[in-house]
Amino acid sequence: MNIYTRMIVVLTSIGLISGAFLAGVGTLTKNRIALNKQREINEAIVTVVSGAKISNKIYEERDLTIYRVNNEKNEFLGFAVYTGGVGFQDKIYLMFGVNPEITKIYSLTILDQKETPGLGAKITSKKDFLQFWENRDCTEKITLHKPAVNAPDQLSPHEVNIITGATISSEAVVNIVNTALEKIRLLKQEGKL
Amino acid sequence: MAEKTINQEFTKGLWSENPIFRQLLGLCPTLAVTNAGVNGLAMGAATTFVLLFSSIVISSIKKLIPSQVRIASFIVVIATFVTVADRFLAAFFPDISKALGPYVPLIVVNCIILGRQEAFSSKNPVFRSIIDALGMGIGFTISLLILSSIREILGSGTFFGMPLTGAWFKPWLIMILPPGAFFTLGLLMGIFNYLDKKRR
Repeated sequence: MNIYTRMIVVLTSIGLISGAFLAGVGTLTKNRIALNKQREINEAIVTVVSGAKISNKIYEERDLTIYRVNNEKNEFLGFAVYTGGVGFQDKIYLMFGVNPEITKIYSLTILDQKETPGLGAKITSKKDFLQFWENRDCTEKITLHKPAVNAPDQLSPHEVNIITGATISSEAVVNIVNTALEKIRLLKQEGKL
Repeated sequence: MAEKTINQEFTKGLWSENPIFRQLLGLCPTLAVTNAGVNGLAMGAATTFVLLFSSIVISSIKKLIPSQVRIASFIVVIATFVTVADRFLAAFFPDISKALGPYVPLIVVNCIILGRQEAFSSKNPVFRSIIDALGMGIGFTISLLILSSIREILGSGTFFGMPLTGAWFKPWLIMILPPGAFFTLGLLMGIFNYLDKKRR
């Protein structure tokens, strides 16, 4: 066999064997990876809409998925909104719960972020950031309260607390939520929710 | 040069040819993911897995690969095992997979792995290649563990997530940011050089 044929045969064989092996590994792990993702979403829904038992995906587009959430008596509790947007370092993905009238945010949780450790990454901390998102009035735009306060009762109903040293990350979360709220109000007006 | 004993083949990766402190290879993941002990351990384990299996395959088929396409062949084999490690972490350790982010797929371009294939596995029998890969992999993992433990303890006040310091200690934020990685690596390398000099 001349050298060129040998080179082609060897590289093609290695490529084919590797491809077949990876196809097998992909098939074996695919379901489990999908299950992990689903479990993460389900846990987030229970976190952001308390009493959630049944949830159905009712709308999906790029970076916005809306779930209709009911309790165990099948009463309509509100919507769980999975959305994402640009943060300081990379995209931030989060979920928040709103009431059926879209006037009140129940709670918010961060699902994925790559903000600066120790600063922007505090957006995942209940004490530093998330507790200030509970029961916010969203009839108007959510705004950031500067400078930071220590307790949620020091904020106006539509305000959330800023993280000292991480203005961009705090603003990014507020912008992501405001954009999503605008969008879901529009979808509601169009009768899509 | 006389051939090394199996024992020497293994221990060279831990000290005299340690991939990080002596060869300065694979510094990108070394600096990037060592902000927490668990991340350092996971990256070390994933790299060792890829190194070990790539070495087994390449030392087994070295005679079949024409030298003109050896690097391309090595990369395909390495990329296969990296993808396996990436999928495995995503399936069974989703939190670690998320924390390591793009650095698992980037093991493909980690110089330690391609370097060992080119310098060792493609010229040595399977058993020796396994011992070499294990030594280098464990040396890499231990180095990442040392680096990440120091950074986590000083930067977060925890060790593998467990609180280690009392309320009196204010974590040094800089240690879990990129400059902390450079400072710690530089200091550790200085200590390694000093100990090595003394040893000789």
